Amino acid sequence: MKLILKHLKNYKALLLLNVISVFGFALVELGIPTVIAVMIDKGVVTGDKGYLFRMGGIIAIISVLGAGGTILLGYCCARISTLVTRDIRLEAFKKVQSLSHAEMNQLGVSSLITRTNNDAYQIMMFLNTILKMALLTPVMIISSYILIIQTSLSLSFIVLATVPLVVGGVIIAAKISSPISEKQQMSLDSINRIFRENLTGIRVIRSCNNNEYETSRFDTENKFFMKQSKKLFCLMSTTEPIFFLLMNMAAIAIYYVSAKMIDANTIQVGRVVAFMDYLFHAMLSVMLFCMVFMMYPRANVSAKRIMEVLNMESSIQNSPQVIEENKKESSIVFDDVTFAYPDGEEAVLKHISFEAKKGETVAFIGSTGSGKSTLINLIPRFYDVNAGAILINGVNIKEYDIEILRNKIGFVSQKATLFRGTIEENIRFGKEDATMEEIIHAAKVAQAYDFIMEKPEGFKEMIVEGATNLSGGQKQRLSIARALVRKPEIYIYDDSFSALDFKTDATLRRQLKKEVKDSIMLIVAQRVSTIMDATQIIVLDEGKVVGKGTHKELLQSCPIYYQIAASQLSEEEMQHE
Amino acid sequence: MNKKTSPKECIGQLFHYVKPYRFKLIFALAMVVVSNLTLAINPTIEGRITTQLAKDATEIIAGVTGAHVHFGIVFHIMALLGTMYVIKTASQLLTAFFLTDAIQQTMHDMRNALQMKIQKLPVKYFDNRPVGDVLSCVTNDVDTLSNALQQTLTKVFDAILTVIFVLIMMFRINWVMTIVAMIIIPLAIAITRAFVNRSQKLFDNQQKMVGEMNGTITELYTGFREIQLFNKQEDSIDKFIEVNNNMCEAAFKAQFMSSLISPCVSLVTYITIGIVSVIGCILVIGGTVSIGGLQAFVRYIWAINNPLSQVSQLSAQVQAAFSAMGRIFTLLNEQEEEQEGSVQIDEEQIEGRVTFEHVQFGYHDDLLMKDVNFEVKPGQMVAIVGPTGAGKTTLMNLLLRFYDVKGGSIKIDGIDIREMNREDLRKLFSLVLQDTWLFKGSIYDNIHYGRLNARKDEVIDAAKMANVHHFIRTLTKGYDFPINEEANNISQGEKQLLTIARAILKNPHILILDEATSSVDTRLERMLQDAMKKVMEGRTSFVIAHRLSTIKNADLILVLKDGDIIEQGTHESLLAKKGAYEALYNSQFANSN
Repeated sequence: MKLILKHLKNYKALLLLNVISVFGFALVELGIPTVIAVMIDKGVVTGDKGYLFRMGGIIAIISVLGAGGTILLGYCCARISTLVTRDIRLEAFKKVQSLSHAEMNQLGVSSLITRTNNDAYQIMMFLNTILKMALLTPVMIISSYILIIQTSLSLSFIVLATVPLVVGGVIIAAKISSPISEKQQMSLDSINRIFRENLTGIRVIRSCNNNEYETSRFDTENKFFMKQSKKLFCLMSTTEPIFFLLMNMAAIAIYYVSAKMIDANTIQVGRVVAFMDYLFHAMLSVMLFCMVFMMYPRANVSAKRIMEVLNMESSIQNSPQVIEENKKESSIVFDDVTFAYPDGEEAVLKHISFEAKKGETVAFIGSTGSGKSTLINLIPRFYDVNAGAILINGVNIKEYDIEILRNKIGFVSQKATLFRGTIEENIRFGKEDATMEEIIHAAKVAQAYDFIMEKPEGFKEMIVEGATNLSGGQKQRLSIARALVRKPEIYIYDDSFSALDFKTDATLRRQLKKEVKDSIMLIVAQRVSTIMDATQIIVLDEGKVVGKGTHKELLQSCPIYYQIAASQLSEEEMQHE
Repeated sequence: MNKKTSPKECIGQLFHYVKPYRFKLIFALAMVVVSNLTLAINPTIEGRITTQLAKDATEIIAGVTGAHVHFGIVFHIMALLGTMYVIKTASQLLTAFFLTDAIQQTMHDMRNALQMKIQKLPVKYFDNRPVGDVLSCVTNDVDTLSNALQQTLTKVFDAILTVIFVLIMMFRINWVMTIVAMIIIPLAIAITRAFVNRSQKLFDNQQKMVGEMNGTITELYTGFREIQLFNKQEDSIDKFIEVNNNMCEAAFKAQFMSSLISPCVSLVTYITIGIVSVIGCILVIGGTVSIGGLQAFVRYIWAINNPLSQVSQLSAQVQAAFSAMGRIFTLLNEQEEEQEGSVQIDEEQIEGRVTFEHVQFGYHDDLLMKDVNFEVKPGQMVAIVGPTGAGKTTLMNLLLRFYDVKGGSIKIDGIDIREMNREDLRKLFSLVLQDTWLFKGSIYDNIHYGRLNARKDEVIDAAKMANVHHFIRTLTKGYDFPINEEANNISQGEKQLLTIARAILKNPHILILDEATSSVDTRLERMLQDAMKKVMEGRTSFVIAHRLSTIKNADLILVLKDGDIIEQGTHESLLAKKGAYEALYNSQFANSN
């Protein structure tokens, strides 16, 4: 709840207005009974009709004031709750932007999406209710109790006696319900999960004929969910009648006592009537308070989930300073680099060293899990090395401002993400001030120009969400064009040719070679044919360098490389090189 | 697509699901009637006490000799009131228990029905719909319906009964006052109408904004890597601020507009109360109404205010419930896949001869495959190659009858697969897809899934054959290592190996590998193929691959283009042909020329 309070502080004026308007509401709810009581006691007894009409007028004024207050209250609640939610969302979003890959992976994209959207929504709903009810309740209770005490001190003791009972009851109910509610929520997540699994695995499930197994797996969870829901709903719907019963019993007691008092002529009937009305309104407010309590556990879970994001610290620290670098000769050096993932026990990369200069191509090859992708992820500082250093132009990458560092790099990921917008905008993503010529050129080199021109709108063709209107190969080519348009010092291709057919792959690489003469090119690949002509091939196995050299050299010296090559190329082709 | 289920049909179908629990439900609703009756009567009884007290009090004040409170009468009324209170509470509690029980059981049944339905719908149904849509039907829609039945149903019932009972009670007190008070009803409805139309539009707009926001966040989070690489954090924050502000405005407008209804209705109520009290007091002076009656009457107006100011909220909930039900029942009414075939096959006798005869097929109206013919002898390995969209995966879809052919026939050992039971047919196959499917659970459970009656040593053997045993042993908990929900705590290659182990465990007659080793490096792939060869000894297998190097020793290679087979033969014979296959094969070495 700290989260909400922190953001509420920014809207003190609105909050004040909110409190004031609550009194407006209390005014009607309690004012009308008071006036009616006076009418009965004075007007009826004296038979003064003029007085009655005046009182009627007062009721009308109170009504308008009250309605005005309630409208104002609605305005404040809606305004505050939406503004606060907006701020919380923005804070969470900004935080996510500052996180590094380690934290991003830890939380997961889908979880982050729910946290920024749905959890914030939960908080909004809660806030809206609490601003209405929670403020209303104390105001109503306190003012009705003041009126109750004023009306008759001795009668009020009975009412006061019920207070601890009600408060205790609410606390107990909340205590019982919150673990059930949590269990129910978790069970609902499981139900969703199983269902999603059923949908995504439909072909496998059917080919395994495991329908019945799935049904029984689902039913187990479904039954559990039903049980929790029953408990929760029963609990929620029994608290209300029981509180009312309590209040009703108090009412009977009051009638009894007031009967005695009337008998002794110490109280007027009108007062008793008013008293009962106050009691009735006090009861309603307690009810509303219960509702808030019921909502609390769910909102609290949401708030906790958002807090988790906000409390994350990025493991990558930026050092914004200007540094001298050797601009003339671009180079990248891995100096005895060792790296382990934050929660990994064993190092993924061990003592990696190599060097690349302007115009050179370094290729990385190795089995699944050998650490190829991890290695190149260290260069833009998605993760920081544990030991050793990576130097670009003679400067440790940790000393660069991250923005400057990343501007040096044109990175093409394995799974290319494109954004909603036109093809042109997506290529321009690489360099904001790129001219149309530059964009067309990049597209041509990336072998994307032809298919772009085949689209009805050409470069203005819209890419939809998730880029589902492009094939895998088209996406890869666009993301290559996006990197090319930057004209960076270092190109990194993380298996970015995998979705291309061999022919396009070959042409593309031939074009690239011409294009990037002044840059360093780092390529991760599965296909030997993709990297055969690299200046240097580095063979990785279980995080260690087991071979370094050209294709020809490695065929002789590195048995693992030989095996990989042999699995892809024919005898003849291997001789050929 | 099926047409939407109408509200009338919805109710009918809902009754079908409620039927087993109808007595509980009816009892619960009967209890609502009881509690409403007591609620309606109570103010009158309370009023009688007041009247009695007032009468006595007037006498006391007037100094009538022997004037005192008639405790006998008061106690009598109080006892009556106490009984009423108890009855009310008891009926409310009974309603709560029985209603919850009936409704939650119904929801449980409905969820199960949906789950089973999904197992029976043709694959085509899901290929045409995003997973999220179907999922939201099962989760959100059922949840909406559950809440509606649990809360809205009784509230609506309550509201109607309250208004009726309260009006009756009011008439009994005084008809003049009642008629005045009744102005509230048409006024409240008119006010609600006026606001609802407006707020509905605003809510629609809010919903649109939620969707837009979701889309934007999804995109910006999934593109996180790119944003960091290209230093676009500022831009993306700007983009977010824009949708966030729009969302905030839309939500505010919708909330504020809908919050206006209640005070406006209440204002009418308040003023009516004012008018009624003035009239009431005059009537009291005239002696036609008792003080208790007036007190009760005012209380009744308050009681009516409550349901009236909720009309808008309730009608929105009812509407939501109906559209949720519409989606649920539309899904439940979808045409199922036929299960039964006319020919019984003996699994043991199947050899695995697969024939495609003049097969025609298309996902839509136009045909993708016009005339596909080939024959696979038992035990042969068939490789299918061709560019994306050539129909490689379609062949697999047809073979397992995820889709049915539009012309010609597919036969296994000479039997048309459409004549077999689907279950029998699918028993013959093991399927490994590029898109690995693992569920949350241990690695053991995931492999074991291939054949649920397999022994532990069989599971381990399968893992060994898939070259994944060693990897599993290095994990912290070995075979008990839990795969998480996103299955992202192991690599893609490892996932593929696990699904291969699962397929091996099933011990099928025919194995289909659809790009099954695309994320495994070639060296491992080679090792796997050797292992598979042993497993597949004497069994038919289909391999779809884009790495041509891995399929060179297939018994039959089918080259597909635009849905049709343009070449078929062995690696050598196809190379000799110097056709499409040769071009495809040589293109991988283009740069070495």
